[in-house]
Amino acid sequence: MNLQPANADTDSMLRRACEGDATAFAGLVRLHQSSVYSIGYRMLGGRDAAQDLAQDVFFQLYRKLDSIESIDHLGFWLRRVAANLAIDRLRRAPFTTTYSLDTIAPELADPPSNDESGEDLLMARALWKLMGELAPAARAVMVLRYQEDRDVAEIATALDMPVNTVKSHIKRSLTALRGKMIGAQLITAEDLPEERP
Amino acid sequence: MSEDIENQLRRAMRPLDPPEGFAERVLRALPERGPRATLASVAVLHPAPRAKLWRRLAGPTALAASFVIAIVMGHYVAEYQADKERRAGLEASRELMDALRVTSKKLDQAYEAVNRPPPSPPAAEENRS
Repeated sequence: MNLQPANADTDSMLRRACEGDATAFAGLVRLHQSSVYSIGYRMLGGRDAAQDLAQDVFFQLYRKLDSIESIDHLGFWLRRVAANLAIDRLRRAPFTTTYSLDTIAPELADPPSNDESGEDLLMARALWKLMGELAPAARAVMVLRYQEDRDVAEIATALDMPVNTVKSHIKRSLTALRGKMIGAQLITAEDLPEERP
Repeated sequence: MSEDIENQLRRAMRPLDPPEGFAERVLRALPERGPRATLASVAVLHPAPRAKLWRRLAGPTALAASFVIAIVMGHYVAEYQADKERRAGLEASRELMDALRVTSKKLDQAYEAVNRPPPSPPAAEENRS
């Protein structure tokens, strides 16, 4: 797959958005809306809160467009702002998050038909419970690591925390997740891969 | 089940699409909560170089102005203080001169009183004649 034309397109979209082209800006929003919305959704635990957060992130982007250097920088900038905004909201109103079975993620709404999807559903349920219990910073680390597939160094930069703190958040969250899955009899201790040092 | 928990986690955390029409709603809301997405508003969002230059220079200019004002005020205060001291000195000098003049007068009077020849007794004159 040749990525060159796509990169050129998105770079040109960014340039045109900086020049005031609303259509190009809309293109940038469409390009990154899933990522930003999902960060908000998994951190705040609700669709409305996620939409509100995503809107605020894109408003901020609109005001700061001239500081965006490239399309890669744009992705990093959006992830950083979305995660930090979500952390701020969780810290300001820690009891307003809506992690519950009523607001469970859409991927959990439709029951899977085969065994493999069943495992995924159970994992998603355990994950959903875990996310509701994690501290804001730890939630952000997990979302950036496993949803956005970012490396530890980038997460540390985005969240302005030491690399070792990021690693420790990941390790503790994975341990807690394993515990939840064992507790729910989803997997047995023998099925678990050995913990990495 | 033996699949790496991290891969399972990645699958469980796939990015989700926002509700239909999200991008359009963001764009529609921009004029209400932010500048309008037109070329004119872009001029506001991205101010002209002159405005940017002024914004960049505002801080240093204010600092320099404060510095100049502090120097001028300092100079004025120092001058006022010196003038006050000079006047006090002149006043003290004048008072000293007055005091010396009075003292000198008193000394002259005392000197005259001491050196004046005693008057001759009239009774002795009469006896001699």
